[in-house]
Amino acid sequence: MLEFGNFKTRTCSGVGRRGFLQTAATVPMALGMGLPSLEAVETERVRRKAKSVLLLWLWGGPSHIDMVDPKPDAPMDFRGPFGTISTKTTGMRFTELLPRMAQRSDKFSVIRSMKTTNGGHPGAGTVALTGYEENAGPIKPNFGSIVAKQRGATGALPPFFYVGQGIPRDLPRRIEGYGGGTLGKAYDPFLVSCSEKGKVGIPTLAMLPKMTPNRIQNRKNLLADIDKTRRQLDSARIQDWNRTHQTAYGLLTDEQARLAFDLTQEKEKTRDSYGQTTFGQSCLLARRLVEAEVPYVQVNWSEYVETFTPNGDFGWDTHIYNFELLQDRHCPIFDRAYCALLDDLDDRGLLDSTLLIAMGEFGRTPKISNRAAREHWQHCYFSVWAGGGVQPGRCIGESDKTAAHPITRPITPLMTGTTISELCGIGARERAELKVLDGGSLIHELL
Amino acid sequence: MMQTNLSLKLACLGMFLFCSAEAFSQGAIARQLTRDGSMKRDPCFIKNGGEIIFCYDETPDLVRMMVMSSKGGEAKPFIKDAGDKHHVEPSFSSDGRYFAYTECTGNLTAQLVIKDTQENKLAYIRHSGRGGTRSSCFSPDSKLLVYAFAETGPQQLWSVKPDGTDKKQLTQSEGISNWPSFTPDGKRVVFTNSRENNYEIYSMNLDGTGEKRLTENKLMDVRPVVSPDGRKIAFTSTRDGNYEIYVMGIDGGVAYRLTHNQERDDYPAWHPDSQKILFVSERLGRFDLFEVDVPPNRILNLNTMNDSLSGSGSTGSGSTGSGSTGSGATGS
Repeated sequence: MLEFGNFKTRTCSGVGRRGFLQTAATVPMALGMGLPSLEAVETERVRRKAKSVLLLWLWGGPSHIDMVDPKPDAPMDFRGPFGTISTKTTGMRFTELLPRMAQRSDKFSVIRSMKTTNGGHPGAGTVALTGYEENAGPIKPNFGSIVAKQRGATGALPPFFYVGQGIPRDLPRRIEGYGGGTLGKAYDPFLVSCSEKGKVGIPTLAMLPKMTPNRIQNRKNLLADIDKTRRQLDSARIQDWNRTHQTAYGLLTDEQARLAFDLTQEKEKTRDSYGQTTFGQSCLLARRLVEAEVPYVQVNWSEYVETFTPNGDFGWDTHIYNFELLQDRHCPIFDRAYCALLDDLDDRGLLDSTLLIAMGEFGRTPKISNRAAREHWQHCYFSVWAGGGVQPGRCIGESDKTAAHPITRPITPLMTGTTISELCGIGARERAELKVLDGGSLIHELL
Repeated sequence: MMQTNLSLKLACLGMFLFCSAEAFSQGAIARQLTRDGSMKRDPCFIKNGGEIIFCYDETPDLVRMMVMSSKGGEAKPFIKDAGDKHHVEPSFSSDGRYFAYTECTGNLTAQLVIKDTQENKLAYIRHSGRGGTRSSCFSPDSKLLVYAFAETGPQQLWSVKPDGTDKKQLTQSEGISNWPSFTPDGKRVVFTNSRENNYEIYSMNLDGTGEKRLTENKLMDVRPVVSPDGRKIAFTSTRDGNYEIYVMGIDGGVAYRLTHNQERDDYPAWHPDSQKILFVSERLGRFDLFEVDVPPNRILNLNTMNDSLSGSGSTGSGSTGSGSTGSGATGS
C-alpha cells in the first residue's frame, strides 16, 4: 500500500483520503510510469464510485452454455438444442433464449470465464457471495454486508436488503454466507418479499399474530404485537428479534420507507415492462430501493434451488427439464426483467451510479446428462455486469470448445467481491481494516 | 348480362380474397379469454371445444391444472385435492375416456399419470432412475399414448397403452426429441428433434420409419400440433425475433405467421373445427389465454397437401397432443 498524503478535507468531488490512497495504490506501477496527475486519480476515483449495488442472484446454477456462452460447433451431446443469435457486441453470440439482452449487449459486459471451488449449492452459494469456502474458518461476510458496514443505513432503510421469500437454500439447508459473518449479525440482510402482483411483504412480521395492513398502520397496535411476540421468545433469540423488529417497525412507520415499498407509485407501463412475475416485480422493487439510496440490494430468483419439485419455487437447478424450463420459463422471465431493469436504471440516470450484476453460484455440465438435462458445473460459468463504473459492451474471458473450462484467466468469486467493493469505494486499505476479502484482486477487464 | 354478372362476381371474389389476405397479413385479431395475467401454459380444448384446460402458477411454488368454459368465466381446479405436486402438459383421448398429465412426484422426478375416467383408475408410467416424462399425446383411436422421456441418453419418443402396459421406445435418434402429435389417421407422428443444431419439426410413421423433415430454420421450431382436419401443423418459432405461432401444411413448406406480438405467443392448440387456435400470449408482461382465427387454406397457401398423411380430413376425428380436441374427459 502506497500513501500519498492526506486529502481528508477534500469532499466536493466525493473523494476522501481513503479513496485517494486506495486509488493510487491500484494505479499500475504508478511510480515507474511517473505519477498520475491528481485530476487523473480523481477521475479514476469517481469512475469507481457505485452508490448502490444491485445483485440479481440466479440461485441454482444457470446453464452458461444454454444462455450466454453457446457452443454451436460442439458435439451434439454438448451443444444443446438452441440456436444462437448475434448481439451488439462483436464476436459475442447468445442463444435464442435471450433476444432482449442480445439487443442491449452494448450496455453490459459478460464474463464467460468464471470459476469456483465448490460444486454443491449451499457451499458454492457461500463462496459466490463471500469469496470463501464455508469451512475456511468462521463464515466470512457477504459482499452486501461489507458494503453495508462501510456505508451504513439511509434513514429508516437498512443498508442491505434481500428481496425474496427467504434466505436462499436447497432442501437440506440454507447458505451459510448469506449475511454478516465475521462482521456480525447487525450486517445481515433485511428480507422483504415481493409477489408477482407487486405486493411487498416483510416475512419477519409473519411471526406477529393478526398482522393485517390496517393493524400495521396503527403504531400502538404494532408495538403491542411486537412486545407480545418478544415476550414469547427465548433469550437467545431476543437480540436478533430486537434488531429485526426495530428495523421492521422503522420501515413500517417511516414515510420514505413506506413509499419505497409501494409499487403502485410506479406508472403502469413501467410495472408492465418488468413482467407480472415474482422476479420481475422484485427487480422493480429493487430499483425503488436503489432510488432510495440503499447501498446493496440482492434480488433472489428463488428461495430454493430446486426447480421442478414439490414446494420448490423454480430455482435454476435444472437437473431435469433443463431445456424445457429454460425455454418456457426461466430465460423469458430473466430476459424481460433484466432488460427492463437495465433500461429503467438507464432512463432514470441511475445506471452510472448503480452496479448491476447477474450471476449464480456455478454453471451446468457442458455434456448433456442421461436425463436430457445438465448437472452442476463449478469449473466454468458466467456473470453479467453493468453500470457503476463497469465498461459496457465487453465479452470478457473465454471458455474452451465445450464451455467446460476457461482458457483465459479464471475469474473467481473472491475477485467478484473485491471488484464490487472497489467499485463501491471500499479500497484495499478499508478491506484490510475490516479484515475482509483478503488476497482478492480486481477484475481489471471490467474497468 | 351474364358476362357482366360473372365479371362482377369475379371482381367481388378477387376483392374478398385481397381483403381477407390483407386482414390476415398482420395476424388476425385475437380474442382474450382470461384476464388475471398469471403465468400460464399448456392450454387445450376439451368437450368439442366447449371447455378449456390449462396450467397456471397458482402460487410461486405450485402449478395447477384448471378448467374453464371456452366462452370465458371463472376457472376451477381440474383435479381436486392435487396436493403440492405440480401438474403440467395435460392431454385427452378423443373418446373422452382418458386423460394424462405429467406429475412432479419429488425432487428431480416426474411421472406420467393416465386416468381412466370410465374405470376410475390411475396408471403411473415410470422409468428407471430419476427424470421426467414430457408432452404426452393420445392416438386418435385412444388406444395408445406417445410421450418423450430420456432414460439413458438422448431424449426419445415412447409409447404406452392407456392402462399403463406395453411401454415401448419408438425412436433411436440423436438429439432431443419432444412434442409428439398424431395425424388424424393415427399412422404418423409429427414431433421435434434437435439433431440439426436446433429444434426442427419432423414426421415419421408410428414405427419410427419414413421420417421426413418439415422445417429448416436456424432457430427453434417447437410444439408442433396437427390440426384435427389433418391438413395443417401449428407450431411455435423464434425465427422472427421472439416466440410467435405459425401454421404450415402437414408436409411442411412455407410457414404462415399467425401472431404478431412483440411479446411472447406460445403453446398453440387447435379447436376441433381446425379454424381457431388457442394459445398463451404475453401482453404487457401478463400471461393470458387468447383465441385466434386461422386463415382459410387458400390464404395459408398450403402448397404440399398430401392426403396419405392427412387422413380423411374429417373434422374433430383426431387427438392432437397438447392441442388435444378430446371430447369428454372430466377431472377427478
